[in-house]
Amino acid sequence: MNDTAVLSPTLSPSTHEFSEVIHRLEAGGSMLPDTPENLKQIIGIYKAYAVPMDFYWRDLLYIAEKVFLNPLPAFKYFISDKYLDRPNAYAGDGADLRIWRGEADAHPELRDFMAKGEFNRKLPKLFHHLWHDRVNMEFAEACMEAMLWHEDINPQFNAYLDGDEYKQNSDLAIRAYFKGNPLMLGLYKLFPDMFLEQVKKLSYYANLGLFWEVMAPVFFEMSDLYDEGKMTTVPEAMDFLVNGIFAVAGRPIFHHAYIDGKCYEIIPKSQGFTWLYEAALPYVEAVFYRTAPFRGTKSYNAQAGQVPSDQKDFHYGILYADVFPVGSAGIPPTLLMQDMLHFLPDYLIEDYQQHGRGEDDILIQLGITFQRSMYNVTSAVIQALRAALLYPLDDPNPDHLKANRQFFEQQIDRFKRPEARLRDVQDQSYR
Amino acid sequence: MLSTLVWLPIIGSLLIAFVPFKLTAQQSRTFALVISGVVLLWTIRLFTQFDLTNDAFQMHEFMPWLPMLGLNYDLALDGLSLMMIALNSLLTWVALYSSVGSMERPRFFYALILFVSGGVAGAFLAQNLLLFFLLFEIELVPLYLLVSIWGGEKRDYAATKFLLYTALAGVLILTAFLGTAWLGHSTDFSYQQMLQVDLALPTQVVLLSLLLVGFGIKIPLVPFHTWLPDTYVAASPSVAILLGGVLAKLGTYGIFRFGLGMFPEAWSLLSPFLAVWAAASVLYGSVTAIAQKDIKRMVAYSSIGHMGYVMLGGAAFTELSMVGAISQMVSHGLILALLFHLVGVVEAKVGTRQLDQLNGLMNPLRGLPVVSALLVLSGMASAGIPGLVGFITEFLVFQGSYSVFPVQTLLCVVGTGLTAVYFVILINRTCFGRLDNQKAHYGKVSLTEQVPALVLATLVVVLGLQPNWLVHWSAATSRSLVAAVPMTHEVQVAIQPPFQGF
Amino acid sequence: MPSIVDIAVQNDGFSTLVAAVQAAGLVEVLATGGPFTVFAPNDDAFAKLPPGTVQTLVDNPPQLARILKFHVVSGIWHKDDMAQQATLTSLEGSPIPIRTEPIFEVKNSTVLAADIIASNGIIHVIDNVILMG
Repeated sequence: MNDTAVLSPTLSPSTHEFSEVIHRLEAGGSMLPDTPENLKQIIGIYKAYAVPMDFYWRDLLYIAEKVFLNPLPAFKYFISDKYLDRPNAYAGDGADLRIWRGEADAHPELRDFMAKGEFNRKLPKLFHHLWHDRVNMEFAEACMEAMLWHEDINPQFNAYLDGDEYKQNSDLAIRAYFKGNPLMLGLYKLFPDMFLEQVKKLSYYANLGLFWEVMAPVFFEMSDLYDEGKMTTVPEAMDFLVNGIFAVAGRPIFHHAYIDGKCYEIIPKSQGFTWLYEAALPYVEAVFYRTAPFRGTKSYNAQAGQVPSDQKDFHYGILYADVFPVGSAGIPPTLLMQDMLHFLPDYLIEDYQQHGRGEDDILIQLGITFQRSMYNVTSAVIQALRAALLYPLDDPNPDHLKANRQFFEQQIDRFKRPEARLRDVQDQSYR
Repeated sequence: MLSTLVWLPIIGSLLIAFVPFKLTAQQSRTFALVISGVVLLWTIRLFTQFDLTNDAFQMHEFMPWLPMLGLNYDLALDGLSLMMIALNSLLTWVALYSSVGSMERPRFFYALILFVSGGVAGAFLAQNLLLFFLLFEIELVPLYLLVSIWGGEKRDYAATKFLLYTALAGVLILTAFLGTAWLGHSTDFSYQQMLQVDLALPTQVVLLSLLLVGFGIKIPLVPFHTWLPDTYVAASPSVAILLGGVLAKLGTYGIFRFGLGMFPEAWSLLSPFLAVWAAASVLYGSVTAIAQKDIKRMVAYSSIGHMGYVMLGGAAFTELSMVGAISQMVSHGLILALLFHLVGVVEAKVGTRQLDQLNGLMNPLRGLPVVSALLVLSGMASAGIPGLVGFITEFLVFQGSYSVFPVQTLLCVVGTGLTAVYFVILINRTCFGRLDNQKAHYGKVSLTEQVPALVLATLVVVLGLQPNWLVHWSAATSRSLVAAVPMTHEVQVAIQPPFQGF
Repeated sequence: MPSIVDIAVQNDGFSTLVAAVQAAGLVEVLATGGPFTVFAPNDDAFAKLPPGTVQTLVDNPPQLARILKFHVVSGIWHKDDMAQQATLTSLEGSPIPIRTEPIFEVKNSTVLAADIIASNGIIHVIDNVILMG
């Protein structure tokens, strides 16, 4: 694609360090170069991501709504059949808005894996669980915790969580949940804030669950379109995401708990929280950009200023991550890569076998692919924000184009940090 | 029985070198491995035949050769020789296994290694001083070739330096041997006869000094060590394993067998200086190792330090320290071979040995995790962490020598502390930290490449947990060696020697 | 004098806005409450949004109401009054950046028709649906 041809003649070339990327964005492209290899990689990984995500969102909602405040939640990952069958609001015939043409209940590959695991043998659920031969729900919880912890990025949502109305709603739910349990009720009397804090966390479970309920069908549909030959370039993949973001932007974010068959509206839909503002944007900021350093991957010396004192300056997310330590036991990136490994499309497996150490470092290879794909998702978010808050790319007004340029440069400034991988993903040899 | 150990490798070597049909590198390697495997099995058989209660030489094999020169083919075995033979057989196999199949002139390479192995085995078994000297000198040429043809940077310089030093050592040793025979009016160079020679103490001291310098170059001890770092570093990993693991032992073996064995009175006189010399070597080797930036050079300097413990044990010549010294020779051989092998793998995969470039090799998927783990293990073994063979042998040496030379022993103990320092530096820089995303596309370490290290590591752990399997072989020999030396000091042993009940 | 809602209903080109206001249950407030300043996106403005966007909002009245409230400011603000203001605070709570020179712009939209007086406020017609952030 010839970037300069689309550039308005009234705007001089960008002098930004990543001017190439800026020009590409201004031409409606992605931060990721438009190559067939990149397209294959990101679509393949979206599909591999969507299957465990189909479990993540179901289980997140199951925990937020059903497990609730169970003090010994040993079986919180043993999702009920009802939640496995729960129709996704964006797939199937009864969808609010049908994004994926597939079915609304749990993905068949997911069901198959849940039954047999890596062993490929039907064994008791408990055995698969203890052997860790299952979907690594811990990754989803790590994402949720990142959103919970970086509280400054979701001001309206958090203001509500700190308000009296939320307190009253949770109080009702807590009392109902522990009805007939004098021990827990007594504890609640002694430490009400502790319980409230737990409910807040559960509200973030719901938040993230509702967010991912959208993303899973989006990724499935992209994979299907690619397989059908209808998605042929990286910008097309990005535009699909942009349209998806707009289409579901107004989806309500809420938290309902079901206790004894009764629904407790802890965050009612009427509060007006939306998917875009209270879930998607905070998620991107918390998980793609910030998160927190993972234990066991690197030592940081806080006294030497190696960990920023301000949470805003945290940059440990997937866009910055050193993917090489993937494989170290128990860290969230390993958990996710392990989950995606089970659902890779054949064309990606073949691709990986021909590079690096083949099967041996496949987790890192797919981790880097995942990093690429998330640069594309972030590009979609940047373009969506540009469309929502600024001007069309072909706007005739040079001031508007200048504003767009400024916005893009501001966004890309965040990747000037040495640990950012924007420069790496420009090159196919980074794998 | 014993001749097999000498002649099988040499015949194998000649076969590889001269069979008229074409041999690929892989075939020569396999053939050499089969030969050395048979030798290894033969060595194991030797262990089953070895009489533990007999403190004299066993399994004599004698054949007149040039009786008028006093040179006869005379082999025999005691506990000291047995340990050295075992080390030689094992490390030859390891060295062959860890060689890369793709090299120039592979047939010549494998022939030379087998030849060295056979020659060294002969030297360890020789009961005739001239025979020993012959075999000692003869391995020089193949080693010179091994370093100068298949070495790394500066190989010619290193090989020449090695040749010059070792040749000088040979001259000194020969002088001492001839002096002993002529001054003692011996017609024969057989070891047993030499033991009978009765010389005045000053003469003994001179002859012993010649031997000490000669073998001191071979070990090497400071200040005769300067050939070592160059040669070890320039040599390919397989050759470095042989050089550090086996050849260096020829030096300490020679000092114990001929120096201590033939001149016990002089030995007793010189022993305080020997202990100081040993401590100086230990400290010098360790401190210099800390300053190195090249991991192979670091390991090479560590070898100087660790051979110092052997000398300390010999200088103290208590029964315990003697067993410790002999066992330390074995454990040093195992650990050094392990280290050189691992460093070789790291260099082959990463392409550098520089501490400031190595990083993050512990990375589970893109690094060399098994190699890194073994490197940590061997560093621990070398630093004398309990539970590993290095601890046992060093502890035996210190326990045995403390009562005799407390100050020197304590200095050597400081040396083990310094060992921990440089190995922590090595391991920290090499294994830990962040793997460089741009550069770290290293090849995979195959199981084949790990086998030698796994074998050695297993021995290091097993012998560390069950030291009796190592020490009891040389107990009787140590006892008889020590008994020959007049006691000039009261020996105090804090604990009973552990090797009596097996 | 017609109310804000009346003006929207009576004029062509605001059918989406009217439908949205009805769906969000804001008709009564905009018809009788006030006074308000309303930045009213026309039908073309809504049509610019990617498919599905409006439908999802219409299906979820509270969320729709929130977006619509972002287009409403309390009080009566003429174009000339706004010359001194960099931002106004919307009923939704988020600020709306305003520029009157060189052209009258509200956030990333351009005002097509300014200062339409209603009984309970004032309307400025804009060419984009504006969004918080």
